[in-house]
Amino acid sequence: MIALLAVSVVTLGTLGLGTWAFRFARTTSDLFVASRAITPWWNAAAVSGEYLSAASFLGIAGLAMKLGMDAIWLSVGFTAGYLTLLLFVAAPLRRFGSFTISDFVEARLGSPRMRLLAATIVLGIAGFYLVPQLKGAGITLGEVTGAPYWVGVVVVGAIVAVNVGLGGMRGITYVQAVQFWIKTFAIALPACLLLIYLGGLPHRSALFGADVPRAPAAGLTVKLQSPKTVTFPRATGYRIGPVERHARAGQKVTLPSGKLVLPPGAAVPLGSGVERGPGVVWARPVGHNGRDGPLFVYSLLIATVLGTMGLPHILVRFYTNPDGPAARRTTVRVLGLLGIFYLFPTVYGLLGRVLAPGLYVTGQTDSVVLRLPHLAWPGVPGNLLSALTAAGAFAAFLSTASGLLVSIAGTLSYDVWGRVRHGAVGTHGRRLRFRFCAVAGIVAPVLIALAAGNLDIGVLVGWAFALAASSFCPMFLLGIWWPRLSARGAASGMIAGAAVASGGIFGGLVAGENVGGAPGALLSQPAVVSVPIAFITMIVVSLLDSADPVDAEPMMLALHAPEGLGLEELEQEPAAPAGAAREPAPA
Amino acid sequence: MSPSPVGRRRTPRDELAEATAHGGLYLRRLVRAQLALSLLALVAFAGILGSLPLLLFLAPALRHISVLGLPLPVFLVAFPLFPLFVGLGLIYQRRADALDEAFRDLVGR
Repeated sequence: MIALLAVSVVTLGTLGLGTWAFRFARTTSDLFVASRAITPWWNAAAVSGEYLSAASFLGIAGLAMKLGMDAIWLSVGFTAGYLTLLLFVAAPLRRFGSFTISDFVEARLGSPRMRLLAATIVLGIAGFYLVPQLKGAGITLGEVTGAPYWVGVVVVGAIVAVNVGLGGMRGITYVQAVQFWIKTFAIALPACLLLIYLGGLPHRSALFGADVPRAPAAGLTVKLQSPKTVTFPRATGYRIGPVERHARAGQKVTLPSGKLVLPPGAAVPLGSGVERGPGVVWARPVGHNGRDGPLFVYSLLIATVLGTMGLPHILVRFYTNPDGPAARRTTVRVLGLLGIFYLFPTVYGLLGRVLAPGLYVTGQTDSVVLRLPHLAWPGVPGNLLSALTAAGAFAAFLSTASGLLVSIAGTLSYDVWGRVRHGAVGTHGRRLRFRFCAVAGIVAPVLIALAAGNLDIGVLVGWAFALAASSFCPMFLLGIWWPRLSARGAASGMIAGAAVASGGIFGGLVAGENVGGAPGALLSQPAVVSVPIAFITMIVVSLLDSADPVDAEPMMLALHAPEGLGLEELEQEPAAPAGAAREPAPA
Repeated sequence: MSPSPVGRRRTPRDELAEATAHGGLYLRRLVRAQLALSLLALVAFAGILGSLPLLLFLAPALRHISVLGLPLPVFLVAFPLFPLFVGLGLIYQRRADALDEAFRDLVGR
């Protein structure tokens, strides 16, 4: 009940604040001119606020609990992505003046046709990224109200669509900045209090030693909604419904739906996909092969470190920096703020393994952040802390999902619809079109989220990063630093990278967990292959391209010339026509 | 874009404004310097981050060392990288701003 209240307060507060703030910023230019006064600290908090999604808030902890400490590389990669963004993209992109990926692609490569290709990839990335947000919503609403999974997905999908369609919470720097602090507070406070209450990490031998997770002193009861296939790591007796049974060590059993009761201290049976080894295996940040081996870790790091710059909803944020040096300062602060947040998912993963072992039976470890506080600390304090994490989770996917849907709706209404059907459209028509696209854009992600109930949030987001790293990252790096990049080269590279990355991901989905070793690692995270392919294709095709190259000199000037030279009026302002014609949002 | 006033010595800034051969040269020099700085920072960053998984893979015995109640491998991944990123970012930001400043001094008078 408290949790429902907390979630409602966060939701209504965010929507209300967003709509209210939006009244002060009626046009796109208002929005951005007003933002010129915003300091790098506010901007950095806003970038971080938009960035921290269900994957960061729920997914990393869930994956860490399920697979082991190799999952915390996600925390590292999600943060490190901003370092590459800082080194190669932040300042030049701000100076160039493009504030969407499609704008940049069209202006830099001088080819309007490239816009459609960029738009397609933007839709792919944003869609991939939106699915886990909706999944997080389904889980959280289920935890809070007991509603079935699909209710949460549909309800939150509808809220986000209406919110974006009506113009709430979009591009509003202060709202996103406040969201960051809500999320950080909501994940940090329970983690710290729990560690103090428990006096450190309990049952360390299941974490780092030879033991496996065990039922607590009062026994463990797990309600199974559907039959589950589980593996018993140690021999133990158990009761399913009224029937007493016994399992041998390593036995694989399909439990019927009903109530599973384990005696105190019994080793907890593990659902499919859960790391089966004892603590010492679970706690390895790098395993020996397959899906926690070095190949997988490197591939994951490449995807996250290079993928951040290709996320459409994040890039928009950099436009609110007044100039290039401010964009650099903002990014350094983002590194600091994210570094604080990402200390905490690890704590939930560690505590979850010993205090919320029931989640291993169902495999739904994604809800560990929501469950852990009231499992670890019975009574009112635990319930209050659980309410806090639920509210934080809601803040996480509301802000990210809204940002993503704005990108999707803007891309659909401007880049796709606007290109396919020409003709003059008034402001009113544009607004209507944007709203229609906001509603249409949520449908596919909702359907996928409904089907993807068993996929881990952290895995889904890993794919979005792989796609971004293999398409937009090479395009930005070469487009900004290499004058010879041609439109044809960029197009071929983006198509090749995106095709290999999505091919690997879907191949992995079809093949499931049957593929082990190096092929399994590459299928579940293809970036280590797809990123080099994209780079090489871009360079080779650009070098072979005999068509007249774009005159890159003015582009390089616009990208790299420092401010304050009085050159601004002669900078090509390549995005200006597109930016002016375009309202990413209905005014 | 206004042509440089007649009778005044042409400055690098005029060259740049008219995108003459010299202007292009100055700019290319800046881009090269910025790129070299970024690549240097990248080498430092990728060297540290990239060697950590290999180190943990090759030296599993590190887990017997305990830091703040955590085995060393877990500790190394979970904590010290974040302040390191900030530090690298800060150093890079200072140097990059300084390069911009030097270019402005060269061109802007």
